[in-house]
Amino acid sequence: MSQLELRDIRKTYTGALDETLKGINIDIASGEFLTLVGPSGCGKSTLMNSIAGLESITGGSIVVNGRDISGMEPKDRDIAMVFQSYALYPTMSVRENIAFGLKIRGMPKEEIRQEVERVADLLQISPLLDKKPARLSGGQQQRVAMGRALARRPKIYLFDEPLSNLDAKLRVEMRTEIKKLHQRLRTTIVYVTHDQIEAMTLADRIAVLKDGELQQLGTPKEVYDTPENLFVASFMGSPSMSFIEVAIERSEAGLSVTVEGSDGRTLALPVPAYLESWAGKRVVLGIRPEHISQPDDQKTDHPMVTSGRFKVEVTEPTGPDVLAVIRLNDTDVQCRLDAEHPVNWGEEADLMFDMRKVVFFDPESEKRIRPQ
Amino acid sequence: MEHTQSRPAGVARAPSGLMDGLQRWLPKLVVAPTFILIGIGIYGYMLWTGVLSFTNSSFLPSYDFVGLAQYAKLMESERWLVASRNLAIFGGLFIGICLLIGVVLAIFLDQRIRQEGAIRTIYLYPMALSMIVTGTVWRWILNPRLGLEKLMHDWGWTSFSFDWLVNSDFAIYTIVMAAVWQASGFVMALFLAGLRGVDSSIIRAARVDGASLPVIYWKIILPSLRPVFFSSVMVLAHIAIKSFDLVMAMTAGGPGYSTDLPAVFMYAHTFTRGQMGLGSASAMLMLGAILALLVPYLYSELREKRHD
Amino acid sequence: MTDVIRTGFRPSRIAIYGVLLLACLVYLIPLIVMLITSFKTPMDIRTGNLLALPTDWTVVGWTKAWSEACTGVQCNGVSGYFWNSFKMTVPAVLISTLLGAFNGYVLSKWKFKGSDLMFGMLLFGCFVPFQVVLLPMAATLGKLGLANTTAGLVLVHVIYGVAFTTLFFRNYYVAIPDALVKAARLDGAGFFTIFFRILLPMSTPIFMVSLIWQFTQIWNDFLFGVVFASGDSQPITVALNNLVNTSTGVKEYNVDMAAAMIAALPTLVVYIVAGKYFIRGLTAGSVKG
Repeated sequence: MSQLELRDIRKTYTGALDETLKGINIDIASGEFLTLVGPSGCGKSTLMNSIAGLESITGGSIVVNGRDISGMEPKDRDIAMVFQSYALYPTMSVRENIAFGLKIRGMPKEEIRQEVERVADLLQISPLLDKKPARLSGGQQQRVAMGRALARRPKIYLFDEPLSNLDAKLRVEMRTEIKKLHQRLRTTIVYVTHDQIEAMTLADRIAVLKDGELQQLGTPKEVYDTPENLFVASFMGSPSMSFIEVAIERSEAGLSVTVEGSDGRTLALPVPAYLESWAGKRVVLGIRPEHISQPDDQKTDHPMVTSGRFKVEVTEPTGPDVLAVIRLNDTDVQCRLDAEHPVNWGEEADLMFDMRKVVFFDPESEKRIRPQ
Repeated sequence: MEHTQSRPAGVARAPSGLMDGLQRWLPKLVVAPTFILIGIGIYGYMLWTGVLSFTNSSFLPSYDFVGLAQYAKLMESERWLVASRNLAIFGGLFIGICLLIGVVLAIFLDQRIRQEGAIRTIYLYPMALSMIVTGTVWRWILNPRLGLEKLMHDWGWTSFSFDWLVNSDFAIYTIVMAAVWQASGFVMALFLAGLRGVDSSIIRAARVDGASLPVIYWKIILPSLRPVFFSSVMVLAHIAIKSFDLVMAMTAGGPGYSTDLPAVFMYAHTFTRGQMGLGSASAMLMLGAILALLVPYLYSELREKRHD
Repeated sequence: MTDVIRTGFRPSRIAIYGVLLLACLVYLIPLIVMLITSFKTPMDIRTGNLLALPTDWTVVGWTKAWSEACTGVQCNGVSGYFWNSFKMTVPAVLISTLLGAFNGYVLSKWKFKGSDLMFGMLLFGCFVPFQVVLLPMAATLGKLGLANTTAGLVLVHVIYGVAFTTLFFRNYYVAIPDALVKAARLDGAGFFTIFFRILLPMSTPIFMVSLIWQFTQIWNDFLFGVVFASGDSQPITVALNNLVNTSTGVKEYNVDMAAAMIAALPTLVVYIVAGKYFIRGLTAGSVKG
């Protein structure tokens, strides 16, 4: 079992003005599955290459099981990586691909044979062992790439967007497969992706990166329910959270915010008491589509739930439910409606706002306003 | 992972230290010989020739500096002027005709032609020949008595006369003919490759818009082949400026020095007439001519690559 | 794009084929003339014309060109020079291709500070007119005792060929994903292991391109041959030029043409056998250069 610490990792490319990585601190527990997400150019691939030793870092240290490996060559770090392009050696058969690293490390032939077979069984690629990579499908190549990493039994596994070259269906299958594999082997994995659904479904914890800075590190639930800032809130979740500029008002019934529909009708939404100090000020209300739905009798009684009637601008049926867009305070806001009770665009609908899980952001700092 | 699977016993840890240091230097070590060879053999020698062009070196290099005297002498030399003018005529015609023939043949060959491969092979084979071979053959074909002229006479055109090869006013055009024969197939190959790379959906779109085939070629396809055009001109100009072999084999610069090119001039003065200073100066001017073409070309090439 | 251009109506098709076939003829005639003439007797040459077939076929021109014809003061034919060319071309081709392969590997997969500068220098080196290096090179070869030797010519061809071969390999290896090298490094492979085990097995096409390009370039070279070699060390191109320009006695065009064929045959054979790679070399050396 191997534990990995990233301590204040910094990286500036020669000739570049900006730092690509601006001091990243992450502790990854032994056997943990950590996903790194962020938009392209956020530095996640640089971070991954730095862990592998394929790129040098300009500051900080990478520590595995208490030992600083920052200055080591990639081959001495005992880290395996699965690449987006799979990077299978095209002139070697699957068997040779998997055995290559073992051969170089001087493992005896017989042990190599056993190891290759163990891995091939594990990934169900035994029938493919004598084929060349070019003859395999994308999904099969993906398995071979993972097999190559597993055969080495390294301390840490790095996955660099391993599924993004697969088609949608296969991607979901392989995702499940990777999850199963991890649950079985409990290996330490760092997994880079730009797909937030992949990040949510696979990870024990998610690290969200932007512009070389760590935005948030937490469990998928933490990141989804309590995003640290506007960026994380908008990046995680699909369809994404809607943001409405509102002013906190104080009345006898407590704190509330008022939203105005496209026809001028207004509705006061209750807000939690921790926003007391923001009374009279403007905040950004972050509300996810599932927080606005058709009225449900079991919930309407809750003090933090309220209903209003709004005009539906657009509807997008997704199958299990219908995404509808309404306009509040001149902003498009997505709602998740029941597919069994269809609403047509242009019509008005009764909508229930569940304010228990909404979040608020400081419009200046863009940080989430935390309950005191 | 190690608690479910123990590390295989045979996996030895690679030694670090000295080997790693060597590994880090290996790439540089491997390219070092080339770097040195190129550094001296191209850049060092270029400078050396530049230095010689400011001296009065004759049969042996000397280092008596005479400033720009050799260049001044060059500008006054009738022979250099002829060579330069010949280069302009030869280069202009050679590049122009090669492009024309190359483009036309490429477009024609791109019309689902049967035996395209065989035809392409025929067009391109002269490029595999030495210019000396080409020169030898064309010199024979254009032989004023026994060559083309005799052929035409035998075929009944008794008044036909063709003595360009030995006519100092026209000899340079025979060199153009031979050079075009040798290199036009190459331009064809470049353009054909370019045509094959044109996105066919653009052509479909133009057809849907009602454009006729000639219009499509003229307005859409050829303009999109601008890069091919530029690199063709670049390569042909390069061949033209360096041309030496062909002239040596066909006319050796004659009659008189009427077919001299700068390359021939440079060779004659440096190695047979014992005027190294003057020869060096002429070489430097050739370099200057190439630079004038090359710098804008490389600049645009490298800039494009940076956009990738 | 051929798939979208429908076959037009007949007359234009006939015109297209007409032009293409005429062009074939124009390109082929010099070769035909060369062959026909080489098998004629001098008598036949004077009475017949360029395209008339020999009245009696003879290989006298060929045997004379091979072993008796005068190239300057010596009259031993071109055979010796033919082998000179091989002795010069084979090592020069192999060395420059091997160097080019390693350089291309480093400049694409092991970039270092200054590697792009080096690549730029090489790229520029492909275009420099050789006239600017002739004189210093001649002086250097003289100092090294390599003047007028085959070894000297090999050195010269390696120096001025390596820019092209490097370019070929560099452009080929740039297109191979870096991830392959990264994966191999994580697998524990070093600089040479990655080259010999991963990249080299994928490099057959570019090796062919480089070998064939270098072979035709070096075999066909005249400038370096005429400047840096003399007498017995001259390559075939120089000998052919001497033979053709030797003005003693009656001009024997059958011998000239046979000698030209002898000089042309090796590259023609290579072109016919591996034309695919030759064309790739030409286009790689210019379009992507």
